[in-house]
Amino acid sequence: MHTMTSTSTTADREIVTTRLIDAPRALVFEAWTDPKHVAHWFGPDGFVTTTHSMEVRPGGIWRFTMRGPDGTDWPNVVTYEQVVAPERLVYLHGDDKEPDMFHNTVTFDDQDGKTALTMRAVFKTAVAKDFVVRERGAVEGGKQTIARLDRYVREMARSGTN
Amino acid sequence: MPDRLSTTLSALADPTRRAILARLATGEATVNQLAEPFDISLPAVSRHLKVLQKAGLIAQGREAQWRPCRITPAPLEEVSDWVEAYRELWERRLDRLESYLDKLQEKKKPASRRRRST
Repeated sequence: MHTMTSTSTTADREIVTTRLIDAPRALVFEAWTDPKHVAHWFGPDGFVTTTHSMEVRPGGIWRFTMRGPDGTDWPNVVTYEQVVAPERLVYLHGDDKEPDMFHNTVTFDDQDGKTALTMRAVFKTAVAKDFVVRERGAVEGGKQTIARLDRYVREMARSGTN
Repeated sequence: MPDRLSTTLSALADPTRRAILARLATGEATVNQLAEPFDISLPAVSRHLKVLQKAGLIAQGREAQWRPCRITPAPLEEVSDWVEAYRELWERRLDRLESYLDKLQEKKKPASRRRRST
């Protein structure tokens, strides 16, 4: 096992995403931290997100499962490090085996009643890559399932056996 | 055992090595030419080149005297593919967040948030 020189910055493993959202930040923050809201947007298209427990406080854990369109379950674990409502969330995201695949910092900035959302993700490469590729593969799979269903329904309609 | 993406990113996790790659992106160069802008020894530059070579990011010519380095960008494409996949996931996730928040706000204040026709 070799060790790389640890002068490395995290810049190479960091992805920053920003979005200006037309909603007050208290509401945006709530949408990130309330299980009933999260179920509506967190999972990829066609996924169902089920929260088992969610404790939004430093050291608290959000445990949830994303069920893919093909019925596959993807367990997720989020461990909160910093919770500053409604300004900032810092958390680790992964699963039980690798709870620290991603280190995320999400900031909610008020901009005249809108919210400037900034997400800074630093990832452990190998496992994080698998995680994303798997999830993305599942999304692609889901699209195919829906396309199949669509074709099937249309064929049924055409043959008049509805 | 590190996967190739991790190896590539480790190789990129150094400002000198990134500067070397940036220089090579403009064309081939010898080790001496590459070392010139840096305030470090030739052996140190060679060590950086070795890391880049192991990661498959550069290749070196064979002639003993004139061994120009050139960039081999395939591993970089892998990095950008992975970043692209991650971005796409989050872009879609934030799209859903936005439309969900729109719906929530319409429910809360139906009069003031009535949609203009777009």
